[in-house]
Amino acid sequence: MIALYGGATALILGIGFAAGPYWVQLAIGVAISALLALSWDVLSRAGLVSLGTAGFFGLGSYSSALLADPLGAGLAWVCTVPVCALVAMALGLITLRLRRMYFAIATLAFALALQVVVLIAPDLTGGAGGISPTVIFGGDPRFQLLLIGAFLLAALGISDVLLTPRFRPAFFVIRVNPDLAAASGVPVVRAKVLAFMVSGVIAGLAGASYGGLYGYVVPADVFTLNWSVLPLAVTVLGGMDTTTGPLLGAILLRALEEAARATVGGVGYQVVYGAVIIGFVLLMPSGIVGLVHRLRQRPRTVAGLART
Amino acid sequence: MDATAILQTFLLSLTVAGLYAAIASGLTLEFGVTHIVNFAHGEFVMLGAYTTYFLYTILGVPPLFGMLIAGVVIGALSAVVYRAFLGRVLRQDEHNQILATIGLSILMVNLAVILWSPNARALQAPSVLPAVTILGATVPGNNVLVLLVGLALYLGLVLFLAHTRTGTQLRLASDDPELAIYAGVNVDRMFALSFIIGGATAGVAGGLVALVLYVQPGVGTDLVVRAFAIVALGGMGSIPGALVGAVALSLAESAMSTFIPGGASWGFGVAFVILVLVLIIRPSGLFGREIRA
Repeated sequence: MIALYGGATALILGIGFAAGPYWVQLAIGVAISALLALSWDVLSRAGLVSLGTAGFFGLGSYSSALLADPLGAGLAWVCTVPVCALVAMALGLITLRLRRMYFAIATLAFALALQVVVLIAPDLTGGAGGISPTVIFGGDPRFQLLLIGAFLLAALGISDVLLTPRFRPAFFVIRVNPDLAAASGVPVVRAKVLAFMVSGVIAGLAGASYGGLYGYVVPADVFTLNWSVLPLAVTVLGGMDTTTGPLLGAILLRALEEAARATVGGVGYQVVYGAVIIGFVLLMPSGIVGLVHRLRQRPRTVAGLART
Repeated sequence: MDATAILQTFLLSLTVAGLYAAIASGLTLEFGVTHIVNFAHGEFVMLGAYTTYFLYTILGVPPLFGMLIAGVVIGALSAVVYRAFLGRVLRQDEHNQILATIGLSILMVNLAVILWSPNARALQAPSVLPAVTILGATVPGNNVLVLLVGLALYLGLVLFLAHTRTGTQLRLASDDPELAIYAGVNVDRMFALSFIIGGATAGVAGGLVALVLYVQPGVGTDLVVRAFAIVALGGMGSIPGALVGAVALSLAESAMSTFIPGGASWGFGVAFVILVLVLIIRPSGLFGREIRA
């Protein structure tokens, strides 16, 4: 626990103050992936397999940029939190009755529908051409990293809070057997909506950060399926239902991506990306964290059984 | 906009419905039997489109035969993919299944980009059928062919499932795999078969795509997202639902682009708004069975 936070803080500070621009950009990319992955994982703990992370990612980048006009940049970022939370609450309540793949497709629809909203109201949102939010810290990547790193540390903390005995058993039983959860007095609706709101806010802040990095937000980028697939890939690679998993997965996936880009280059690295995903699902379905757990614990112990 | 032009758009959207139905029925069959949502289904359609395209441009095979060959080729490819890969994720959690087929999709799209460049190609074959004129509205011959082949594919699938021994076994494996095992059905073979049939229909549908759309690596991704909307709208696993959903989506899209200025660019997402509204009222789609949590 302390190693995780200490390590993450040391990495962010170390790279922010001592490393070259390449490493800073890399760390920013990893931090955004990790934020999205945490956002996805929090939701998946309640059994909600989402393909709508891109929706909140885009919502966050748009609301922080659009609200900056009347409110000023700082307040706009603060207001992005309740905006994302409210939309997430609404989506959570709307999709409450949807099961499994219907839920996944409805969340996919949500992201695409938000993109349509942007296209319908070009006067307000800039339409297909996108908008230009204020670049944070005047475009100095080191301070950008520190801010995004602070978001990441906060998200890690929130994720850990949701893994405490106060929340974890409730989410577990909702995921495994919603009827049993309801029958045993777990507030299913409240827990799911809570997971939705936390998840939406984290993804929204990742989106706001992304928009503020380069001062450039286009609907054809922020609402695409890629931003919904990335957190899924990162979390499954790292390990679900953990705080370490999304972080490890984000680092690993980015490292693989960079290695592939350097060796194969061009489009080839996308092929490697696809192949890596397939390989992981086949060979390491419970991710790195799951593998480490299995190596550390003898599989016949009670803990080992409970985990599978 | 005058009545003839509206009629023309309406008729054209009905022919598109034939294409959508062909793609969505394969997807919904695969889901109904194996409960895997195949995000790479569109890439099999894309491969079918390229197969038909190259058969015509290199060997001069007419598209109508080319798409049949594409069906056989892509069906065989699906068998290989199922045995090597998809069959192994059957027992995993659904997020792993989603990720697995998305990984496959990313792999296939980018392999296509490397092999055939990202450029769009047009299959310029002379139309097999003459253009049809109804009340002054003209439908190009290729679109008529798309409607006919799409419907034939769909009806063929329905009849196969309803009236053949294998079709009955498929339906049983889909309805109740456990009972199917006790009844002596080789469920594993049925799972593989559903992907082979799904792949074959995707291959033929790819030939249709080559006739009316540009052939490019990303063509399947766009189509499969629509197919998801169709399948969820109609009820996942429901073959009649796939047809109803296909007609509803293509009509909604054409109504958007006809009556709303600039609507052509966002008709796609509006379909999803409709989908969400339907799912709020009927969480299992229009024709879907109630599914357990």
